[in-house]
Amino acid sequence: MSTEEATPTHKVHSIASRPPEKAVMRAGLWLCLAVALLVVFDGPSWLSLNDVVLAVTMFNLMAMAQAWNLIGGFGGQFSLGHGLFVAVGGYTTTLVLIHTGVSLAVSVLIAGCVAALVGALMAIPLLRLRGVYFSVGTLGVLIAAQAWVINWKFAGQTTGVVLPASGTLGFNTQYYMAASLLVITTVVVASLVKSRYGLRLMAVRDDEGAAAELGVNGFRVKLAALTISAFLVGLCGAMNAFQQLTLEPYSAISISWAIGMILACVIGGLATIPGPLIGAGLLFLLQQELQADSDLTQLLEGVILLIVIRFAPGGIWGLVRALPQQLLAQGQRLRAKET
Amino acid sequence: MSQLISAIFLAGLYASISLGLTLVFGVMRLVNLAHGDIVIGAGYLALFFGGNLGLDPLVALVIIIPVVMLIAYPLQRGLLNPLLAHGAEPPLVATFGVSLILETVYLLKYTSNASSLNPSYGFNGFHLLGTDVRTVLAIALGGGVALVLATHFALSRLRFGKALRAASEDPEAAMALGIDVKHVYALTFAIGAALSAFGGVMIGVAFSLTPTAGLTWLLLAFTVIVLGGMGSVLGTLAGGLLVALAQEYGALAFGPQYQNLIVFSMLVIVLVLRPQGLFGRKLA
Repeated sequence: MSTEEATPTHKVHSIASRPPEKAVMRAGLWLCLAVALLVVFDGPSWLSLNDVVLAVTMFNLMAMAQAWNLIGGFGGQFSLGHGLFVAVGGYTTTLVLIHTGVSLAVSVLIAGCVAALVGALMAIPLLRLRGVYFSVGTLGVLIAAQAWVINWKFAGQTTGVVLPASGTLGFNTQYYMAASLLVITTVVVASLVKSRYGLRLMAVRDDEGAAAELGVNGFRVKLAALTISAFLVGLCGAMNAFQQLTLEPYSAISISWAIGMILACVIGGLATIPGPLIGAGLLFLLQQELQADSDLTQLLEGVILLIVIRFAPGGIWGLVRALPQQLLAQGQRLRAKET
Repeated sequence: MSQLISAIFLAGLYASISLGLTLVFGVMRLVNLAHGDIVIGAGYLALFFGGNLGLDPLVALVIIIPVVMLIAYPLQRGLLNPLLAHGAEPPLVATFGVSLILETVYLLKYTSNASSLNPSYGFNGFHLLGTDVRTVLAIALGGGVALVLATHFALSRLRFGKALRAASEDPEAAMALGIDVKHVYALTFAIGAALSAFGGVMIGVAFSLTPTAGLTWLLLAFTVIVLGGMGSVLGTLAGGLLVALAQEYGALAFGPQYQNLIVFSMLVIVLVLRPQGLFGRKLA
């Protein structure tokens, strides 16, 4: 969708700054990031209990959006079925904790792996489909899966499943888990995207035929992206189960998960690393501000989505990134006028 | 036997709700994720005019069709047309946004409870070879078949139909020949919405309307057009019949609770094995 973001090595300030300044600026950025991370991880000591609980939801939304971004943004495969992985993660961790004696951490890992497996199984037939057919296919799989779980005794049919006592966590633990999950997801996606693999993924997205001529196996590249994305969303799904405590098929296996992920990515900036974080944060704040009126929230989300896609296809991050260059150009024009 | 008769009558309804989706896809390669909401919207408009003007749902169509066209035309012209140039995803996401907005509008006006239209033909029925058939489904069958045939005829015979097919096959060449492609696209979208209006009203009479039901009907319509061939007009009849048969015989064999599973598994399987549809070639 946004081809100018295709090169991950692209630097905003490349025009303005000489190399030494660049190094200083990079160091500064990393330092800011480190401080920010420390402050975030110290959250429970300076946030109210209510905010800690809210932060868990927000971090989880951000992490899911980031994971979707890998296949949907960088891979260009608009999955509408990512809610399936949220559900697989949640159901798996709950069922594993109910039926076995493994530790919580192991159950989360199993949840991620089962989601990855489901993702790969889904990818093998569906990734052969082009563009919108893929989107429709993922939606079909999602709704078929929902219809299946509604009739599946082992998964509690319409009543769903309840997390056993071994899965109940304190709010602070949830907070640390969700924050770590967000960091892990972002680091995984960012480093994948900056790697040679990421270049191949984006090459396949932009022109699968040309990429194939250069010896890139488009199917395998996309398969890997979808599997990793499913794994990460599966982990988030487990996290969601720890927070929700009960899962039932109508809300757990729903298209609204993918809606949230897509809204966050498109509004924040598709195929960028900060985009999903900004988008999910913004949507979450909107939801909180208009808590009394959830219908109005959905209306506003739709309107914002339309405005962004029509007038700022690069999303909010796209606008922010273009800002320094625009200011620079403005400054140059002004200087040119003075002389 | 009774399954076969029920399926035939359902097929008309299914074809009529899928016609707009296949037309819009066939002409613009646009997957309209708001299609189900447009269908449901026509039902809600019938409810609105029924309540305010006391109109029978079928009579209300006379007002509903211009209304949905007046909403749909600028939607395509102002929002979707400019996005089509940027590839398949931006318009897809935009229709997604439209779907969210429409859903909320229904929710705000009619709450999340199910509402339905209750003219006499919604309850009445007749016997056909020992099977009870509801009058509304007979109307839907007649109307659906008529709409499909009329669309097919319009596309192959009328001047606008030819312009539309030209715009579909090669927009740039069509533009060079003096066809206003932007107008043709917008009009196609409006006609797609108008064709969906009949099906939406029939759903309101035969079943019920809920603000979130759009998604289910969208997927059902997808299954119909995937089976019949995406972009194929006559294929909606075959696709509608296949979906209805699968539902009826699936319910008989496995129990009604597996209906959705059967239909949507069929969607995925056919999509994967034969993306051009069982009978699909191209438009008209």
